[in-house]
Amino acid sequence: MAALGLAAVMSLTAVACGETGEEKKPDSSQKDQTSQADGKDLAGTTIRVYTHTGNRVLGEEKKDDDGNTYRDESSAYLAQLAEKFTDETGIKVELNVVTNEDEIRPLFQVEDPTVDVFTCPNWSLEEWAQYTEPYCTLDEGREVYGEYADAMPNDGKNIFSIMPGRAYNQAVVYNEEVIKAAGYDEIPGTLDEFNKMCEKIKGNGVTPISLHRVENWPLATVQDFAGYVAGDANVFAECLKTENPFSEEAPFGKTIKMYTEWKAKGYFEPEVYTDFGVAMDSVAYGKSGMMLFGSWVVPQIQGRVPKGTDPSIIKFAPAPDFGAGRYVLAAPADNWAISKFSENKEAARQFIEYIADDAQFIADSGFIANKKGVTPIVPELYSIIDKQVEDGTCTALLSPATDDNTIANQDILTEAGLWADYKYVGLLFDALDVTKPDDWSAYDKQVETQNKAYAEYKEELGLEWKE
Amino acid sequence: MARETKLFKIVRYIFLTLSCIFVLVPLVPLVFMAFKTGAEYSSTGVLEAPKSWLNFYNFAYAIRVGHLGKALVNTVIILGISLTIQILFTTMVSYVLHRFDFRGKKLIMTLFTLTMFIPVVTTQTVVFQIIYKMGLVSTRLSVILLYSGVGIVGIYIMFNILSSIPKDLDEAALLDGASYFSIYGKIVLPLMKPACTTLLILNGIGTYNDFYIPNLYLRKDVQTFTVALYKFFGNTATPFEIVAAAILLGIIPIGIVFLFLQKYIYYGLAGAVKS
Repeated sequence: MAALGLAAVMSLTAVACGETGEEKKPDSSQKDQTSQADGKDLAGTTIRVYTHTGNRVLGEEKKDDDGNTYRDESSAYLAQLAEKFTDETGIKVELNVVTNEDEIRPLFQVEDPTVDVFTCPNWSLEEWAQYTEPYCTLDEGREVYGEYADAMPNDGKNIFSIMPGRAYNQAVVYNEEVIKAAGYDEIPGTLDEFNKMCEKIKGNGVTPISLHRVENWPLATVQDFAGYVAGDANVFAECLKTENPFSEEAPFGKTIKMYTEWKAKGYFEPEVYTDFGVAMDSVAYGKSGMMLFGSWVVPQIQGRVPKGTDPSIIKFAPAPDFGAGRYVLAAPADNWAISKFSENKEAARQFIEYIADDAQFIADSGFIANKKGVTPIVPELYSIIDKQVEDGTCTALLSPATDDNTIANQDILTEAGLWADYKYVGLLFDALDVTKPDDWSAYDKQVETQNKAYAEYKEELGLEWKE
Repeated sequence: MARETKLFKIVRYIFLTLSCIFVLVPLVPLVFMAFKTGAEYSSTGVLEAPKSWLNFYNFAYAIRVGHLGKALVNTVIILGISLTIQILFTTMVSYVLHRFDFRGKKLIMTLFTLTMFIPVVTTQTVVFQIIYKMGLVSTRLSVILLYSGVGIVGIYIMFNILSSIPKDLDEAALLDGASYFSIYGKIVLPLMKPACTTLLILNGIGTYNDFYIPNLYLRKDVQTFTVALYKFFGNTATPFEIVAAAILLGIIPIGIVFLFLQKYIYYGLAGAVKS
């Protein structure tokens, strides 16, 4: 009995936060867990996983030789991993695809125990705390994932969702054939040269950049690009340091103006795309040169290139130097969490650790394994960026943690009616009438309006930058 | 006068033709889209006809991958049971409220009317919790229960037809010794058939097209057609040519029912407005 008990404690310790070979004490969040030991003890258990990453469950959507859409089941990496996990541990995994967090929120509200593991990109911190079993403490997370742990959803004490991968993000996703036709072999390093390239692409009758402005969420990229303009990833929170964050002198204002200038020059698509898929197709088919986006979009565009075209013409490179150097955002990726109401928490934890240990699965998913002790595999899509980061021509900015300053800035924008749907970007960008590219009066007026509203609510809420 | 009539006729036809165009034009891209390949959809305009009208790939894909057949069966089961219960209850409630005077009748009518002004969404958090506690989430019974309730529109439709059924019939049957239940079942209910058909169509279409309730309560194997359709939508990209084919497949059954029974809708609606 004593041996059994000892075995149980040892295995429980092994799965605490990360199996790094170093012994860890189970944190407070695990105290309520039963002393189920290894996979064998949990054999027969079924865990239910709810994920928004349908491509990894059903397979990537691609076009066949006749141009018809189909699911490439060979890329259903999560389904394959779940099968392997079941074979090895006897724990069954039921995968459920959801479109977004709205679909599972009602289940959490009634404390449904049938959700065990879930992925959810847009949960608020309050919701993470309310619905999620703390995965490990922040200190334990730092031991296993280094500084990336701070950017995982946490309340300063516990990490709610573990992110076993990291990604280089928010860069230029481009069609190599389009830029070659414009006389370029790679994305230029300076803004001037980048603009010249866009002019040449436009001159070839191709849209230089697909923004997909018809929806609001693509504007989130602008926020990250502001970090490159300032050479500082914390630029969003640092809006608090000024009363005029939307003026051209401030990083945010400068970035939005840069985007709007591109609009005035006709670099973005003139058509209103109703679907992001069509925008991706336009890059795949060479109707558009590039997107300024996250790495996740690369395999999706590669899967859409026309018959007979090598998917590797779709490449991912750092943005040009906007004045402060060349940067790329490095962030933890792919969140996995255990429901607070799960009755299979230990099996759920084993599944997440199994994911974190599988460098190939993480690479297939488009990320780089980040757990200590796991040898990472760098996916091909990062080859250009990785090389530039290594030779020092590009700097990786670590995605900042959500701190008090970030929340304070968000509160001001919310009160000013500028936060929802990235209005603080969208209203400025939309203020310029593309048919009157030289008339910036409406844009300047909007800058004034937003600065005034920001300063007013900053004062009213009494929020200031905290060192 | 004759000239006026001719002019009026011309204007009327122009107006009706334009109305038809406004209604039909949005459907044209949908039909075109359903027969296009994914590559064609991305590379051609919405009003460009497909290269081949014999490309049924999207339909087959939608049925196979979206499990639309199973979804349609679920929808039919839910519709069948809930509409039967709803119509039965609506006729009973309407019969009692129309034929009898009793204390609280006005209050009951007011309460039924009030329900029209409460948006479904606002009550769903509580309703979801009740249904969850009953253990019915992810079962067809959850939505059947929610769709089986009596609505004020149904009551007005029934009132209209009840007004045209003479009370003498009830009284004669009563004198012959019939019970109230027999009068309802053997005399009144058969005469309410046209109104029942109207309600069947109106609520049937509403229930068939409803997305909110089934999406909230039903998962996996018990999904309805609209929820199965929604599953084609990704959180960023959507294969719209497949969605278009699935929508066309969904329109067919309800379109056939509507064509055959449309006269009852006009009858019922006109009557309900009058009453």
